[in-house]
Amino acid sequence: MVDAAGLFSVLVTGIGIGALYALVAIGFALIYKITGVLNFAQGQFALLGAFLVVVLSTSVPFWMFDVQVPVFAALGLTVVIGALLGVALERLVFRYFIGEPVLSVVIVTLAFIGIVDGGIRFFISSQYRAYPEALQPSWSITLPYDTSVQAPFVIGVILALLTVAGLMAFFRYTVLGSILRASASDQQAAMVLGVSIERTIVVAWALSIAITSIGGILLAMSSGGAGFTIGDITILVFAAVVFGGLDSIPGAFIGGIVVGILQEFGVYLEEFLMPGLESVLPMVFLLVVIVVMPYGLFGTERIERL
Amino acid sequence: MPCGEYFTSYEERMGLIRWRIERVALVLGLPIPLIAPFVLTGELVSVFTLVFIFGIAVLGLHVMLSYAGEIVLAQGAFMAIGAYTASRIVNEAGLGLLPAMLIAGLMTASVATAFGLPAGRVKGFYVAISTLALQFIAVQFFFRRGEFEAIHGGTQQSMPGEIGLVGDALAIGSANEEYFFALLMLVVFALLTMNLSRTGIARMFRALHENDLSAQVLGVNRFRNKLLAYAIGGFMVGVAGALYTIYIGFITPEFFSIDITLLHYMMLLLGGMGRVWGVILGVTTVELLNHYILQTLIDIFPEGTSLEPMFFGVIIIVVLIVEPKGLMAALGQLKEYLRKWPYAY
Repeated sequence: MVDAAGLFSVLVTGIGIGALYALVAIGFALIYKITGVLNFAQGQFALLGAFLVVVLSTSVPFWMFDVQVPVFAALGLTVVIGALLGVALERLVFRYFIGEPVLSVVIVTLAFIGIVDGGIRFFISSQYRAYPEALQPSWSITLPYDTSVQAPFVIGVILALLTVAGLMAFFRYTVLGSILRASASDQQAAMVLGVSIERTIVVAWALSIAITSIGGILLAMSSGGAGFTIGDITILVFAAVVFGGLDSIPGAFIGGIVVGILQEFGVYLEEFLMPGLESVLPMVFLLVVIVVMPYGLFGTERIERL
Repeated sequence: MPCGEYFTSYEERMGLIRWRIERVALVLGLPIPLIAPFVLTGELVSVFTLVFIFGIAVLGLHVMLSYAGEIVLAQGAFMAIGAYTASRIVNEAGLGLLPAMLIAGLMTASVATAFGLPAGRVKGFYVAISTLALQFIAVQFFFRRGEFEAIHGGTQQSMPGEIGLVGDALAIGSANEEYFFALLMLVVFALLTMNLSRTGIARMFRALHENDLSAQVLGVNRFRNKLLAYAIGGFMVGVAGALYTIYIGFITPEFFSIDITLLHYMMLLLGGMGRVWGVILGVTTVELLNHYILQTLIDIFPEGTSLEPMFFGVIIIVVLIVEPKGLMAALGQLKEYLRKWPYAY
């Protein structure tokens, strides 16, 4: 039966999950906007963030090193490691691919799917790992129609909103932000004006992977621990950013929310129509968006000339 | 090779065999794959059978990617469609292998064409994303979760040990028979691809690849040619999927994950894009490397098999940094070096 309470619950849960997707999607859009790299391994970097928390805060070892720090220190460390990883990726790999054809860049990011996934399976664990008690908050907010929102979703929505607002303010009001915008809109002109393109790209990667790790941690919290299904969100993130318009950060946020709601709506419809809609509905949405409006909501339209 | 190129007609210039040394190489090289299965161990024969099957699949990718320039990331899904179709035709209709391969190819070609429709409007990244969506819909939803069982007939299927080519006649069962059949198919498709690249069809694909706007101004129909590339490439990948089912004898969705897409891209890039010989060289190198890395890992470090995707990821990145044009280009440079040796100027 279609009823107001059911639909409201779909909407609320959808926004909650969508906010988590939005965080990863923002990380993705940030890299694309500034470096033009389409990162097919964004989901894997979220996965890495989720597993790093397990390594740092519980007795699960990393290969032969067993580290154990307080939970909240582990969260902070994970974000810092994420940022450092972003710097390392740019320095060691993506620097060599500036000016290379699109295909090479796509293949390199695809190769990272294998590297990160295989690395986690070998060095950390090949199974689902539960999070420590402190990271499994049991509180929830009760809304009208007896709908309750779990803690990770609440934190996710707040963090996603803060990230979008923070990034918008960063791009608008700080010098570094305007340097980033300048090099995004025209790299050569920015270089002529004395901007170090290398440094801006490093900043973009560090920010992006850090935000993505936060998204990964929250996704893991919402299911109680780190599991390999987090890696599968890459395609949902694509649906989100394509709808938002690939290089727009508010667009990525809105796209993430829309994809989350669609997914929950799929779960809701499964009773009446057919099972499995949960995973198909966002894909169909993605294909429709690509055919009907490839530049999405706020994307830059590129006009070609001969 | 004589010094300089002395071609007096276009037929000579475009010929598949242009120099005497190539004719000699053909005569000397042709018997090698034919006597190989009687010399090599059973394990290596099996590896080479897989090389031939993946060779066909990568040739299909080659048509879509190197000729038409479409970044298609649905290699796993295409092979899965071919494999499940072939399995149903053989097991339920009992028509035999050749009709099964034909129908599997046509089925894959039609799905590929349907998912190629966005290529009429978008290109580059967007094509990559939409075909990745096909990979997820097909493998995750359709096959793994077992939805719409009436269409694909169950997630796990097995093939009979002996399959007739048409109906029950001319059965293929032993490893050597599979080897020769796969070899024959690879030769057929390699010749088809080579000839395709010499016709106007592939010239139009290439024109659209280089600059689609200019090609359209010159009167090339973009939409029709892109769809044609999807259909030809999809057909070949589907046939390879059908052959893959008889090779492994048992199919589950796990065989057709995104990993296989990555593997095929690596084969294509390592060999060098744009040349049929590059495809064959790349597939052979990667499969042999795969075989020996896995064997060494099992021998010295059994827990380490999950490191294999890592090795491949690292190799692919190093190849792209060091020699983005692949092994064929590296061999070409070596030839140039030897030709000028010792007086390079």
